[in-house]
Amino acid sequence: MFGVRKESTDSLTRRDFGKAMLGGVSVFALRSAIAGAQAPKPNRSFINGVQFGLQPFCYHDLAMTRENRGELIQRLVRNGMGMVELHATWVEPRFNEPGVSVAAARDRLREWRLTPPPGYYLGVRKELDSAGISVFTYYVNFDDSYTDAEFDAVFRGAQILGAHGCVGSFGLELSRRLVPFPGRHGMFIGLHNHDNLSDPDAYSSEASMVKGLSMSPDFKMMLDVRHFTAADGDCVGFLERHHERMAGMHVGDRRKHNGRSAPFGEGDAPIIELLRMVRDNRWPIVALLEFEHGTLRPEVEEVDLMFDYCKRAVA
Amino acid sequence: MKRLLVPGCVLLFTASLAAQTATHRSYDTAFLGPPMADPVLQHAKETFVLFGCGYCHGVNLVSRGEATDLMHSALVGSDENGNRIGPLLRAGIPQTAKLSPMPQFSDLSDKQIAAIVTWIHYARRKGRFQELTAASVQSGDAAAGKTYFDRACSSCHAIDRDLAGIGNKYDAAALRAAVLDPKGLKVELSFTVDRIKDTKITTAQQRHHALLENYSVDDVANLVAYLASSR
Repeated sequence: MFGVRKESTDSLTRRDFGKAMLGGVSVFALRSAIAGAQAPKPNRSFINGVQFGLQPFCYHDLAMTRENRGELIQRLVRNGMGMVELHATWVEPRFNEPGVSVAAARDRLREWRLTPPPGYYLGVRKELDSAGISVFTYYVNFDDSYTDAEFDAVFRGAQILGAHGCVGSFGLELSRRLVPFPGRHGMFIGLHNHDNLSDPDAYSSEASMVKGLSMSPDFKMMLDVRHFTAADGDCVGFLERHHERMAGMHVGDRRKHNGRSAPFGEGDAPIIELLRMVRDNRWPIVALLEFEHGTLRPEVEEVDLMFDYCKRAVA
Repeated sequence: MKRLLVPGCVLLFTASLAAQTATHRSYDTAFLGPPMADPVLQHAKETFVLFGCGYCHGVNLVSRGEATDLMHSALVGSDENGNRIGPLLRAGIPQTAKLSPMPQFSDLSDKQIAAIVTWIHYARRKGRFQELTAASVQSGDAAAGKTYFDRACSSCHAIDRDLAGIGNKYDAAALRAAVLDPKGLKVELSFTVDRIKDTKITTAQQRHHALLENYSVDDVANLVAYLASSR
């Protein structure tokens, strides 16, 4: 449906096979589960030609931990979301405990990623599947501390979760290192912009994003509409010019000139125009709601309100 | 019987309406805490949250992620009525390689900025008070306490005048409690026209609040040691 995932069950590696056997899961079952993710499913947040999803950062009151994943899934269902950008912290254990140094915790996380418990990612996948939620992208804070093997391990896990790509807030320099990885797994890397125009390494201007996209055909833009607006970018022009290289958008509102976040419609982001462009051109660009404005309401209710705004935009 | 039934029904209906109204109020008590008794503080807190400050800095200033820790920030500690926080809010902070950006809030009214500042200082005092009272009572250095007292307290107090013999009246724990939270200043804001007395109290409150926001554990221990020496 999205035209962004070339990967098939053939991409199962020897490591996957070994893990599946160790975990008592037949490789056939593993292949079936992964193949199942490819099959088109009715998605409750596909509305009038636009696939919506949520970046659950919006649930500001809910710590992004794997212990809270059950609550997250319940909230996504209550909000009528069938697609999510899942941050790795909803999946992975945390090793930052009292008495454990930051470096030691980082090493233990790497070790866990390289040898996750057999069937672990499949178990998470089943939780999401049974609630009718598919993972569009897996958000990972890639940085220089990653080894190449760790990059591969993260992609493998994301793939089992059903993700089409991995997204992160890294810069141009790290992007160069990431070039070989997504293709190996039949996935994409989503470049995510912020509004930092003063850092030459950051994705913030159109030029910086074009530069990043030129590094690999497996790089797609996950345009953050809020941050691009705050960086005085032209969101509509960007979508018009680069829609073929866009996998998704983080949809939210902010004011220009590094302005504050605002409820949808109260800032300068052209949310309605962008959603209608996606709808009317039938572009397979996923609209992931993400907001940072404050509210006194429960977050589920706030997500409902922002989602309603988007639904009206594409009605 | 009918006479009783009709008012009873009206009462029930009113109660049910009130209950419905209460449930329709969308206020996230779990995240924000229960509404506060003081409407001024409640408004300040709501303003702080509504403009998104709470998501990075924490509703009660327990910092989330990489945002500046306002509970211990020197800039907040030196702020007087928004003279430092206000301009920063209006201008924002550009991102650097190591620092996330803070958006600029140039479109906020002066009152909105003032409300945010009010909440930051209130929450900081609450947090610092908890930190300082959680620390065990330790023996301090009376000489260092005198130096602190001369610098920060002597414009209003003297241990041979209003605080004479205070060391005889209170033990160290009580002295610490009085230093951190003077009982005489627990007075609600008054909106009567004649507020001369309140102005005095407000000034005293502001001074003590500023001290509370910046005391270290050692400062408090030293002050207590100095006050205890007044016999």
